[in-house]
Amino acid sequence: MIETILEARRLRKQFGGLVAVDDVSLKVARGSVHSIIGPNGAGKTTFFNLLTGLYKPTNGQVFYKGQDITHAPLYRRAHLGIGRSFQITNIFPNLTVLENVRLAAQAMSNINFRLWRRAESYTDFTHRALEVLELVGLRDMAALPANILPHGGKRKLELAILLAPDPEVLLLDEPTAGMASEQVPELMATIASIRQRGGKTIVLVEHNMNVVMSASDVITVMNLGKLLAEGTPAEISANKTVQSVYLGELYNVEG
Amino acid sequence: MKAVKTQPLWRRTLQSNIGYLAVVFFLVIFPHLVGWMTGDSPFGVNGRPRGQSVFWQSVFIEVFILTILAMSYNLIFGFTGVISFGHALFFGLGGYIMGLALERSGLGAEAALLLGAVIGVVVCGVLGFLMGLVSLRLRGVYFAIFTLAIAEMVAIYIGRWPVTNAEDGFPLANMPELINPTRNRLTYYYLALLLVIITFLFIRRLMNSPTGKVLLAIRENENRAQAIGYNTLTYKLLAIALAGMIAAGAGMLHVILNRKVGPEILSVTYTVDPLLMTIIGGVGTFSGPIIGAAGLHLSERIFNREFVIGTTSVNIGENWSLILGIIFVVVVLVFPQGIVGTWTRWRSRRGTARAPAPTVRAANAGD
Ligand SMILES: Nc1ncnc2c1ncn2[C@@H]1O[C@H](COP(=O)(O)OP(=O)(O)OP(=O)(O)O)[C@@H](O)[C@H]1O
Ligand SMILES: [Mg+2]
Repeated sequence: MIETILEARRLRKQFGGLVAVDDVSLKVARGSVHSIIGPNGAGKTTFFNLLTGLYKPTNGQVFYKGQDITHAPLYRRAHLGIGRSFQITNIFPNLTVLENVRLAAQAMSNINFRLWRRAESYTDFTHRALEVLELVGLRDMAALPANILPHGGKRKLELAILLAPDPEVLLLDEPTAGMASEQVPELMATIASIRQRGGKTIVLVEHNMNVVMSASDVITVMNLGKLLAEGTPAEISANKTVQSVYLGELYNVEG
Repeated sequence: MKAVKTQPLWRRTLQSNIGYLAVVFFLVIFPHLVGWMTGDSPFGVNGRPRGQSVFWQSVFIEVFILTILAMSYNLIFGFTGVISFGHALFFGLGGYIMGLALERSGLGAEAALLLGAVIGVVVCGVLGFLMGLVSLRLRGVYFAIFTLAIAEMVAIYIGRWPVTNAEDGFPLANMPELINPTRNRLTYYYLALLLVIITFLFIRRLMNSPTGKVLLAIRENENRAQAIGYNTLTYKLLAIALAGMIAAGAGMLHVILNRKVGPEILSVTYTVDPLLMTIIGGVGTFSGPIIGAAGLHLSERIFNREFVIGTTSVNIGENWSLILGIIFVVVVLVFPQGIVGTWTRWRSRRGTARAPAPTVRAANAGD
């Protein structure tokens, strides 16, 4: 029996006349890597924003471990164990790389309202941040202000901020977006290593078909806000409808 | 780097604060220095505030008050990233509450002072909290306009309130002899200086604490702060409440110094001044508000008069606002990080030998 950890029930999001997410239902199994693919503007990021609480849905519900979290604010979902990284880098630009990650590690703690001691004296969080920076390969840059990192470094930082509080469900919105292609395998290896440690559920939006086909247990295809198909990588590559919508990029799999 | 780390803590603390300690030392001896240079007693003459030393003490007390006000504004504007146009409300209410406690409570001077201080600080803290609660869901400029509207409403209302003599206000006579700024201005000078130091240390301590780091995160990127699990509203409320309490303290010092309470202390001047001082000095730095307040207020006191150059006389006083406006535009265009921000950045660019120097706002704990 597969246990569902995160579920969307008939989720819909409308921006004026545009329906960005149209009646999407989806179940993410605990411990799986579930990829969401689709052409630009398909509604993948909007769907993530609904799952994490950045947007309120026009209709529909979100469930986490069987609990209705449709109306839970962003920060509460983070406390429940849902973490996400952003397609467009979303960091604390003028703080150091270390501080970016340390803040994420501190977020779940009970020290957030200690006004008196120095933040650095709570060494657990600094250690945790350094550990995560080591994992993503940014350890040497810890003291730099985040905004001077090169793009690839910012993508790694984006991932480190997500990992620091150790969420159970990781929603990754195009983690490799805009990265030089030679850096992609390194980042994907990091993500694979997170998976291998077990216990984590990963929802991945990614345009790189090689990555998606090799890493996923389940793939959901979206187009124009609608759910188009769902299945294993093999089923999806064989799916005629998917091919017609998404032909160009699926070619990459064979090539 | 290593050598510094192995030194004892007190030594490191001393070294990293040497600049501040020098300033404090100068300010402590300043009244006596002026007294010694001009021959005027720093204690005044026969209990009357006469002479150069006493005059400059009052100028510096004004600087201290504006510094406290600017530091409190910097806490929300510079460190938390919330723009409020209603800061005068806290300054003014603090002043009014202190005035009412001294003049209308019927208590002795010391008890009334204590009562006014406690009530003023508590009321302004609660008010800041409530104002934030109602309006912080508004973002950016909408929040700023809301705060301006509230502050102006209160100013207009109190300007017509018969209990406090409407626009005339009321004088303060009942105050503890020890800090009476007419007869014991030097003590008042040291009291105000002490409060500047306490406020400075409190804010620096706060900003280095876990809570302060969250405030910085909110300034930097509120959405992401929420996404990683911070209920940012709570932290912003805390910052506004604390800033309101500190501003109230500044307002209390102001009315006691002037021995008068009137609706002008609620005017938008006490929002605009700390705003300009913070921007010119350096938003989100520790020393920026101090430099901004001292720089602006001292230059106003020094240049705000008639100058006679040869046969022409120039009255800068009339044009002071214009000059201030020009200074402001120049600073914003040439030094967008303010004086302290630009200085720190310039120094870190030069110091190639030093470890990768974070930019000003990145460091934020350094200065
Ligand atoms: N905040 C918003 N307001 C209005 N329209 C929006 C908003 N966010 C997204 N949209 C629109 O919704 C549609 C779906 O956008 P979304 O970003 O979810 O697509 P996506 O699948 O993530 O695309 P990409 O692969 O380019 O990242 C697009 O047409 C987009 O313009
Ligand atoms: Mg997207």
